[in-house]
Amino acid sequence: MMKEKRDPRKTFGAAVSEVAEENERIVVLSADSGGSSGFKEFAKRHPERYYEFGIMEQTVTGIAAGMATVGKIPVFCAIAPFVTCRNYEMFRNDLGYMHQNVKIVGRNGGFTYSDLGATHHSLEDFAIIKMIPGVVVLCPQDPGEIRAASKAMLEYEGPVYMRIGNPAMEELWPEQKFEIGKGSVLKNGSNLAIITTGTATRNVLEAAEILEKKGYSVMVIGMPTIQPVDREIIQMAAEKTGRIMTVEEHYIGGGLGSSVADVCAEYCPVKIKIHGVKKEYAVSGSYEKLLQYYELDVDGIVKNAEEFLNG
Amino acid sequence: MEKETVKKRKELELIAEKCRRNILRMVEAGGHGHIGGAFSAIDIITALYFYKMRVNPKNPKWADRDRFILSAGHKCMAQYAVLAEKGYFPKDVLDTYGELKSKIPGHPDMHKLPGIEANTGALGHGLSIAEGMALALRSEKKDAMVYVMLGDGELAEGSNWEAAAVAAQYRLENLVLFLDNNGLQISGSVERVMNFMPAGEKFKAFGWNVLEIDGNNMEEIVCVLDLMPACKEKPTAVICHTVKGKGVSFLENEVSCHFWTPDKEKLKLAIQEVEARIGKMEEEQEA
Repeated sequence: MMKEKRDPRKTFGAAVSEVAEENERIVVLSADSGGSSGFKEFAKRHPERYYEFGIMEQTVTGIAAGMATVGKIPVFCAIAPFVTCRNYEMFRNDLGYMHQNVKIVGRNGGFTYSDLGATHHSLEDFAIIKMIPGVVVLCPQDPGEIRAASKAMLEYEGPVYMRIGNPAMEELWPEQKFEIGKGSVLKNGSNLAIITTGTATRNVLEAAEILEKKGYSVMVIGMPTIQPVDREIIQMAAEKTGRIMTVEEHYIGGGLGSSVADVCAEYCPVKIKIHGVKKEYAVSGSYEKLLQYYELDVDGIVKNAEEFLNG
Repeated sequence: MEKETVKKRKELELIAEKCRRNILRMVEAGGHGHIGGAFSAIDIITALYFYKMRVNPKNPKWADRDRFILSAGHKCMAQYAVLAEKGYFPKDVLDTYGELKSKIPGHPDMHKLPGIEANTGALGHGLSIAEGMALALRSEKKDAMVYVMLGDGELAEGSNWEAAAVAAQYRLENLVLFLDNNGLQISGSVERVMNFMPAGEKFKAFGWNVLEIDGNNMEEIVCVLDLMPACKEKPTAVICHTVKGKGVSFLENEVSCHFWTPDKEKLKLAIQEVEARIGKMEEEQEA
């Protein structure tokens, strides 16, 4: 049976709007990006809390910081590279160094903007934002988790970056309370632990079932918080399986895989395979074709896991 | 009435000189500093804190306070000097300039020192941050003003021009920009490095109210501050014509004082010059 799919952007926009009905400190900032980020309704209902600035992401980031110093909770969502790379110094200094309560959301993250090409892909956002001290980095895995993570980030006092994708996503499990900094075991297993995040989780779960049928016992850990990384769950997975593979729609260097490898190197050395996108300007094509090309579709994940298990 | 005005102006001039001395005190401690811009900006910053702004040094986070953001964060010695003079922190903190974990680093840190509103230093950030404050204060129905100071070399940062459009479109009459137009940046004349002059015309074209003053003349500074908020439904830019290194004769208009690492003799001469002026002003006031 086909599971129901939801638009991640609309899901996020609706979740923030719902909280904003109760919390008047929340303001929405747009760089010609609010309508496409799920805030059309909010803009109509609360024009006094919806600020349009046009296409100037660096300045909007600074404005958000200034607003936060007065007690507002600004939410600024646009295409992921434009709110992470374009405005990086403002993110680092005005949000990170000043530690302001601003929520930046990169939509169409990873290569979910597929055929729009490498300018619109975001395969280094985890790497660059997690280097900013004190910034929480989130990457929810299904619509329910997008809702829960949106609420959690608004409750949290401090700068947050959240990445969401573009194509409609399946509801993978019933919505649960989101705890920043915590991963969860989605499936138990003993031969291999696959640690994954965001859009990759759905395919990893399906790949794990196939691997199971092939005789491998695979644990799957969902890691919707990239920073601060859940050290305990990584240690547990290392101890129980002795072999960890990470899967993410991100460059192989600097993302979730690197964080997992850092923890393992220091606390629990085991064999690790980091599966993601090799460091190149990703090719353009449909999302499904890109997943196949970079072996992040179900077959690609199964193939890489088998190679790692037998390597 | 006129007599009172003159008295107030003379008081402010004396405070500004004491603040110049405070800056040199930091140079004595740390051995160097961005004093060229600090000296060109000090008269305006002094007047803001001692004449205009609604602030409370004993309650620096007071919600209704006016804000001052020094976008050209390298001039922070000027702000430290004024905050110390105003009583935000004990003056002996000035002697820690350059020390490990000093509360007064080479660019300001709001989490280290009371009275600092933003972590500036990377140029082209302060105007956007100030606008966020102005927008938020207005939405909270507070009548607090937001003052921001930019350097003239800083105008080459494109983010300022994005922000220039925002302030005009959002009609931020509670925002005032002071441009410390001393005409010199580290590589030489601002006009030769990258010409953004006449800056006033550019802000006008964006829809700002624009005023021009001699930014080292206390009478003109006080006059312009008396006008604030100066224009309904428009942000105001005050183009302040200033002199880099103002107040030490051998540093004035010298680009080398942008970041000054003096030998003992030069520092002594600078201190003597400022102290002599302070002495003379105090005598005049007592008389």
